[in-house]
Amino acid sequence: MGRLILTRLAMMAVNVLAISALLFFSVTTLLGSPAAMMLGEDASPAAVAALNTQYGFDRPPIEQFGTWIGHALQGDFGRSFITRQSVAAAIADCVPVTLELTVFSILLAVVLAVGSSTAPVARRLVGAASTAAILIGVTVPNFMIGISLILAFSVGLGWLPSTGWVSWSEGALSHLQHILLPVLTLSAYYFGVFSIVYRAEYRDVCERMFMRVARAKGLGEWRVAFRHAMPNAILPVITFVGISLGQLTGGAVVTETIFSMPGTGRLFVSAIAGHDFPVMLAVGVMIVVGVVTMNLLADIAYSLANPQIRHE
Amino acid sequence: MRHPSLQRAFGCTVIAVAVLLAVFAPLLAPADPNRSGVDMLDLPSLANLFGTDDLGRDIFSRVMHGAQPSLLIGFGAACVAMLIGVPIGLAGGYMRGRIDLLVVGVIDLFIALPGLILALIITAMVGATLRNLVLVLGFVMWPPVARLVRGQALAVREALFVEAARAVGGSHGWIIRRHVLPNILRVIAAQFAVSVSVAIFTSASLSFLGLGLPPPMPDWGGMVRSGFDYLSINPFMSLAPGAAVTLTVMGFYVVGTSFK
Repeated sequence: MGRLILTRLAMMAVNVLAISALLFFSVTTLLGSPAAMMLGEDASPAAVAALNTQYGFDRPPIEQFGTWIGHALQGDFGRSFITRQSVAAAIADCVPVTLELTVFSILLAVVLAVGSSTAPVARRLVGAASTAAILIGVTVPNFMIGISLILAFSVGLGWLPSTGWVSWSEGALSHLQHILLPVLTLSAYYFGVFSIVYRAEYRDVCERMFMRVARAKGLGEWRVAFRHAMPNAILPVITFVGISLGQLTGGAVVTETIFSMPGTGRLFVSAIAGHDFPVMLAVGVMIVVGVVTMNLLADIAYSLANPQIRHE
Repeated sequence: MRHPSLQRAFGCTVIAVAVLLAVFAPLLAPADPNRSGVDMLDLPSLANLFGTDDLGRDIFSRVMHGAQPSLLIGFGAACVAMLIGVPIGLAGGYMRGRIDLLVVGVIDLFIALPGLILALIITAMVGATLRNLVLVLGFVMWPPVARLVRGQALAVREALFVEAARAVGGSHGWIIRRHVLPNILRVIAAQFAVSVSVAIFTSASLSFLGLGLPPPMPDWGGMVRSGFDYLSINPFMSLAPGAAVTLTVMGFYVVGTSFK
């Protein structure tokens, strides 16, 4: 187990370094001179050159990458070209928002997907309804779900605020009201994919001998479903949570934009719009590190839940 | 919609309508999609089926014209993804050994990257034109294709007929072309349809985030975005193009999964 984690950690470091280099070189070579961009089109060549020397844009790319990664490892991602704010501080402000949104969404999606496919009540009705819900979750774009929810609950019924963000300290109820629609929006897709994965496994588990034994013992349907079938069918969902985190960040970008939430995704979109490349790079690398870490954690959780893998 | 045939019928109908619109929109649309008027943000009426947008343009006609760029991007990007993913997957799955290790490593490296984020970064750098979007989305979508094809090739290469082909002295290229590829073509075709739906989905999301085709090109994702500000005045400005994206994505997805 320890060795597995160590090798995975080493692979993870290589992966992250490779992707950071890829991002850095593609961003720096394709975007052209940041100095020219920062000063605008009418800047004099002398001013551009001066800025280049000041920031070190005139040095060879490989040297720039070395400096950048050296600082990044110490938690210094430079300053935003636009706001002049420290990138690390800007990201630190945004991370809690995104983290809360994604964690709530995954939890809701897993609970709904597993619950609706396990519960032994009105199987035909629930089954048909959730088949439709799965198709909707998987194919309706995030922004359409968000807009429909806003139309229904904010514009139409007026129950919930459409956009904006209120922190916990400013009022728990208001906070939850603001985060409800974004969480519903983001979890729709994951409800779909988790259900597909879980149902396939659940069907297999139901064929197994121990299910017949459990019923033969005279256990109730609820106990059979939740104590015997569910723990055996949930493993692929755990792996899938890990795999889908990358896609989740993409969904979070769209969701945060719709609901104007001050999260990492919106920071990223505005950095892209403003060609603010220190912010772009930092958020890009951070997303990759996050995704790779979560993949590793999912693998560890998986091997903890399944002793066969642990002892390999 | 539990029956595959029903799903397929729905999907094929949607695809047929979308293709029809993509080709004949200029003939079918009741109005010029770019002609602005004085009646702005009108609600649906007989003259303007979905009302008018913030510049007084007919939303119905704009949605019809939006089919063409969407389908071009969808088909184009899916083709690019197949052109990259299928050979790489075949090489890894059929050759095994070191080549496979390399292939799996590269696939894992890219699969960790979120497609939409990657597409956002690259599109921002190269600029959102039709050609660039096709290339960028195709490039973002190849890893799942390669992974699927690799898995399939891995299974087929163990089949008896592949062993027989090898025994009669067939070269690797010939075996892959004549024995492995035909047997996984169905899966590739299904993945192609799913890829088209993912490409349309992703390009609409890009447009919604402001990195779509430049105006005044009627672009579904961009139209949803501009309608977002007028949601309480004429919601159809967002809903109509949004429904068009959704139906098209659903159509291709359903057809793809029904063949898997």
